[in-house]
Amino acid sequence: MDPILTFVVILIGFYGLSTSTNIIKSVFCVTIIESGVILLFLNLGNLDGGSIPIVGEGITMIADPLPQALMITTIVIGSTVTALALMLCIKVFHHYGTVEWAEILRREEGK
Amino acid sequence: MTKHLIIIILLGVLLAVFVVAMQDVQILYNTALKSYLVEGVIPRGFEETGSRNLVTAILLDYRLFDSLFEAGILLIAVSGIIWISKHDIEEKNAQFMYDKFKTPDLFVTFSRLVYPLMLTFGFYVIINGHLSPGGGFQGGAIVASAILILYYIDHDKETNIKLIVTVEKFLYIAILLFAGISIFTRGTFFTNFIPTHYSYDVQTIYLVILNIMIGFKVALGLWAIFTAFLKEGR
Amino acid sequence: MLDLTMIELTAYALQILLIILAIAIVVHRNNGTIIILITSFSLVTACLYIMNKAPDVAIAEVAIGSAIIPLIYVISISRQREFIVLDKALDDFIISDNQFTGVGYILLKRFTDLYHLELNITNDPGLCKLGTGRDQLLCEQTNVDLIVTKDEETNKYILKGKKSSILLQKLESMAKDYDNIEVIQFKDRDFGD
Repeated sequence: MDPILTFVVILIGFYGLSTSTNIIKSVFCVTIIESGVILLFLNLGNLDGGSIPIVGEGITMIADPLPQALMITTIVIGSTVTALALMLCIKVFHHYGTVEWAEILRREEGK
Repeated sequence: MTKHLIIIILLGVLLAVFVVAMQDVQILYNTALKSYLVEGVIPRGFEETGSRNLVTAILLDYRLFDSLFEAGILLIAVSGIIWISKHDIEEKNAQFMYDKFKTPDLFVTFSRLVYPLMLTFGFYVIINGHLSPGGGFQGGAIVASAILILYYIDHDKETNIKLIVTVEKFLYIAILLFAGISIFTRGTFFTNFIPTHYSYDVQTIYLVILNIMIGFKVALGLWAIFTAFLKEGR
Repeated sequence: MLDLTMIELTAYALQILLIILAIAIVVHRNNGTIIILITSFSLVTACLYIMNKAPDVAIAEVAIGSAIIPLIYVISISRQREFIVLDKALDDFIISDNQFTGVGYILLKRFTDLYHLELNITNDPGLCKLGTGRDQLLCEQTNVDLIVTKDEETNKYILKGKKSSILLQKLESMAKDYDNIEVIQFKDRDFGD
């Protein structure tokens, strides 16, 4: 429930993204960052004493429904974007014969 | 090694900045947002939209514009995947692209049992989106994973991806038109088209129909994605 | 500090578990293990969404993160380690007496073992029927990495592949020792024409 602990997850994702040598590893790190961002949004909207955002008799305080609505679409879109990245990754392997960033860059420069 | 150290130090600085900024943000949230929720959203949300689940109210009424075009992004991503993975060599040759591995019998039997239950649960989540947690996006994902089980039961299942994507495109246009009806009845775009003097029960018809349409669209999109991957995976 | 309720305590424990899982995903080297880790990661995040009073988001995360995301990762990782060979020669170069004992098979097996790849030989009749003139198109449009054909006049076996692939150059240097094998590399063409 602590936004700072959630932010640590995002930073770990950034660390992995900047040090990864493999394309698939980079996609994994993007997934981690995405989950961290979703968790951060929900953390901020979760106010003290709030219940789930379904109104009825005797409900006085709820969690903020707006970030939740945005995050649902983020999850669905995020999965398709991951799929797009992985499909590109398969094509890159069959074109270059490798999925290491360094090798691909070397081949592109040596052209 | 120095590169990793520099990255770690930079990320530490980011964390420190975040910790300092967080205190102000939390104070802001706990004062301004609280009064906004208590005075604005909780009493008026149900009356204005007819939906007890306020997340659905925001997705399908207040911010319908956003969710419509995020459904559009889904369509664009699916089209991109299909375009990247297309094979120009004649389509009948694509049959060498299926796995020859055998699924365990126990798994197949349990899949047959679970498949109708999953499908029913998916439809329940879609249709009850305005009363309980759920809605088109989530229910569509559940229906898509139910369809995925079919591919474990039957390996050689043939699927026409082009047909799926075409249906999805037409469904998207239908969703846009359905959401646009409100300009004739209420005078504004992208909101509930049933006039306000009707009771809440009548107003939920709009929510249920739109939830079903979005749910089918999302299910078709995810279905197209994993069929493309299964074909690619041979 | 100590008056935490049970649910808050659980939430803190789950968040620390989440950080540990994230570090494990970033540090781990084997991609196959990472798939299991990322699935458990998404399930733990789903628990945290419920604790943050967001059941709608949790349903979406469970539905997508437990079935569809692992599937696409499994497929793309297994595709990432495979070398597809289309056998158009159809004689004892690769298969002799229904067993993989031909000269070409031993060469290819040695090559793929050296670079930790998975050899995948197909002789799909639909693709073999296409004429030799369309070999380059076949290489570009499908995932086939290598095409094996036989030159009838000189009795040489010709291995064809894309020039852009780093594996082809390694294969060429490996095939120098064999007299009856020749490696041809197709030049790159622009995409989209």
